[in-house]
Amino acid sequence: MRFNYLVDTGAWKSVEESRVASIEEMQVWDGLSDARITFNANEANIGHNNGQAPHMATMTENLNLQRALLRSLDASGVAEIIDNTKVSRIEKDTRNGGWPLVHTSNGEVLRARLLVGADGPNSPVRSYAGIESYGWAYDTRAIVATLNHAPRLAGLQKQSKTAYQRFLPTGPIAFLPLSPTSSSLVWSTKPTLAAALTATDPQALVHMINAAFRLPEVSIRYLHRFVLDEKQQMSSDALLEEIRWRERAHVIDQHSVFSSHAFDGIGIPPSDAEMLPPLVTSIQPGSVASFPLRLSHADSYIGEGEHGSRTALLGDAAHTIHPLAGQGLNMGLADAQALAECIQSAVLVGGDIGSRTALLPYARARYFENHKLLSATDKLHKLYSSTFSPVVWVRSVGLEVVNELDTLKAAIMMTAGSSSSVQKQRFDASSWATAARSVELAGSAWRAATSVGKTVEGVLAAGLSNLLTSSGRR
Amino acid sequence: MQTLLRLSRPLLCIARSLPRVAFARSAKLSTASVAASSVNQEEIQFFSRLSSQWWDESGEFGLLHKMNPVRVQFVKNKIFETVHDDGFEEIAEREKNGKILDGLDVLDVGCGGGLLSESLARLGANTLGVDASASNITIASLHAAQDPALCRTSALGNVPLQYRNAAAEELVEEPKRFDVVCSMEVIEHVDNPAAFLRSCAELVKVSYELNSPGGHLFLSTVSRTPLAYFLTILAAEKLLQLVEPGTHTFSKYVKPAELIEFFQKPLGAAGRPWISHVYDGMPVRQEAEVRGMAYLPWKGAWTLAPRGAFGSTECNYLFWVRKPLSSRV
Ligand SMILES: Cc1cc2nc3c(=O)[nH]c(=O)nc-3n(C[C@H](O)[C@H](O)[C@H](O)COP(=O)(O)OP(=O)(O)OC[C@H]3O[C@@H](n4cnc5c(N)ncnc54)[C@H](O)[C@@H]3O)c2cc1C
Repeated sequence: MRFNYLVDTGAWKSVEESRVASIEEMQVWDGLSDARITFNANEANIGHNNGQAPHMATMTENLNLQRALLRSLDASGVAEIIDNTKVSRIEKDTRNGGWPLVHTSNGEVLRARLLVGADGPNSPVRSYAGIESYGWAYDTRAIVATLNHAPRLAGLQKQSKTAYQRFLPTGPIAFLPLSPTSSSLVWSTKPTLAAALTATDPQALVHMINAAFRLPEVSIRYLHRFVLDEKQQMSSDALLEEIRWRERAHVIDQHSVFSSHAFDGIGIPPSDAEMLPPLVTSIQPGSVASFPLRLSHADSYIGEGEHGSRTALLGDAAHTIHPLAGQGLNMGLADAQALAECIQSAVLVGGDIGSRTALLPYARARYFENHKLLSATDKLHKLYSSTFSPVVWVRSVGLEVVNELDTLKAAIMMTAGSSSSVQKQRFDASSWATAARSVELAGSAWRAATSVGKTVEGVLAAGLSNLLTSSGRR
Repeated sequence: MQTLLRLSRPLLCIARSLPRVAFARSAKLSTASVAASSVNQEEIQFFSRLSSQWWDESGEFGLLHKMNPVRVQFVKNKIFETVHDDGFEEIAEREKNGKILDGLDVLDVGCGGGLLSESLARLGANTLGVDASASNITIASLHAAQDPALCRTSALGNVPLQYRNAAAEELVEEPKRFDVVCSMEVIEHVDNPAAFLRSCAELVKVSYELNSPGGHLFLSTVSRTPLAYFLTILAAEKLLQLVEPGTHTFSKYVKPAELIEFFQKPLGAAGRPWISHVYDGMPVRQEAEVRGMAYLPWKGAWTLAPRGAFGSTECNYLFWVRKPLSSRV
């Protein structure tokens, strides 16, 4: 999250702190080769701001943030909110300079000097403005849910501040801590599997989630049939038995962290306990949902000409991204900040904030930035969807190389969540120079990647895809 | 090739160009009433089409639209600076609420489609835009009428923005004087620049406060240099045809030094010169200032060159001068 921006605007004060988790560590590993990368905020020496412990990302539920933003808007007294109302139609005021007329479901008509489309992926404002959007649907849906689990034992407190993500060929599964006993799931997988998993008994889903973080990929694939094929469906208990049978087949010790047997509290916990998220015990009722994943980018962020004058797009209305890098919300917040700054400077020189001249700096500030993230994330998705073995080998080497390069890891963390303008500046000035230097040391593939910019997903993906195009083309 | 290389320099000059083709018909209509309310539907449509040229931000006037924020910034800076120098503290408060020109009477001479006038009005000035072309005035009025913020009457009965089809010389005959007179990208188009400058200067308020100088005069134009010739006439008109050929006449371009020299002489029989002395050809900051403006293609924006930056006033520049204490002219 663009944390500092939320703090600076005062919105963060209204957030319910008990539902906020600071992430200090991120564990990411490859579902096929098990190559693992650990990001640690302490190590990278970032996130020391606002008097808080070093952290690399801040997690909270969308609802918590939305509630806080509404409260702080209310308190500011400068905005009027018309809630429980839909925009039913937008038309152009052709007789009076083409300003947008917004018809609401309660019968009001609002004439807008500037109409900001922050209205999500199916943006009615984007359609009104006639702005085309480029992209494609991934053959993937993301399942989201809020998970319950036992609190961490003393000595393992760190785990409630660690995020986990495993890249499976069907898509990444991510476990993001919210509190010591609850976490958020984002599991991207094939649409048929997502449909089956969301429809199945929640306890069976619990077992499938635990298995997806633990079992070797062949066994996970094998288990799919029990949720996909109606004839083979079984009770959640039978599913657990099946999982345990597979664990024995893979010689997974019952006391190992990879086992589906919960640690019984006797003796010392397994030494590698921090490599995996805690075992999920149940799912919060009503929290399971799934969404189609798309990559899309609007051709322009500001409307133009005949139809689109006095419109601007931001957030998911302008772009949608694969959730594997957790960037969706961040990008929207960064857009909002840039647009607000742009409007402010136009007001200071008496500009018309709906004019193209006033809005152009916003588009210039955000379009390319977002484009870099969109394409880097898209490349990562493609990279990790593959089971083709040279690719698996290359990306595992990629993960391990990155693991060695602390500055690069820092850069990845900067883009994977907690970046703020303050941090960014500090980073730009010194750390990036260091990062660039170590990139050069690592050879030409990395150097080529610096031109992609500060997104290290970009660095990673570009470096790897350079290698990949040659192996993939054979 | 040579042209392209030269053009990729950071400096790109423009001067305001009238869309001549579009205005060919306007002579016939110059008697049309200026008030939007009394214009008939057909005329509104005709003027709206013209207006779409002045206000088409990606068209021929795009560069002028982009230049506008820099011009306004310069006006704001100088007003802020002088009010501060004069010891009025409340200016910081006005700056904060975005209405730095609150309550000032501002005249925009040669307002064209109203680009600058609208901005000045939004900053709180009681703005009067005048233009010798009746069609320009109609276009400007129609455009402002679409914006409720510009035509709302204040509690004190002030309308923030008004337009009149008049020349500066006609206003001199009337008693009204202004805190700020602006004439941007105009002087290079007039036939007798000295007379024009004298009229503009005359329209600036005299201070009635003890020890306080009078109002402000702001100009912007293009210098008469080889670079300006190259960029505004040879390149923009002849080679690249960005603007209509004949838009600019090189001999009419005015150098900053010529403006400074003009204001070093008394403007009337009894008056004092506005610029009392110069150092290295430059006036003191409290009396007058010249600042260059350059278009940065890679940023898509104009920038105000730093004070005294070498070569920055070779092409487009802004000029400010202040009416001196107890001057009658
Ligand atoms: C499965 C999934 C997982 C994700 N995980 C993460 C993550 O871990 N981290 C992260 O940062 N991002 C994540 N994202 C992305 C993130 O949720 C979005 O980027 C973010 O919510 C976009 O915010 P927005 O305000 O632009 O759009 P939205 O949240 O879509 O909001 C649009 C709003 O407009 C309103 N609206 C639409 N039409 C109308 C109308 N006609 N009248 C009135 N109102 C209307 C809607 O009601 C809605 O409130 C994820 C997305 C998905 C799908």
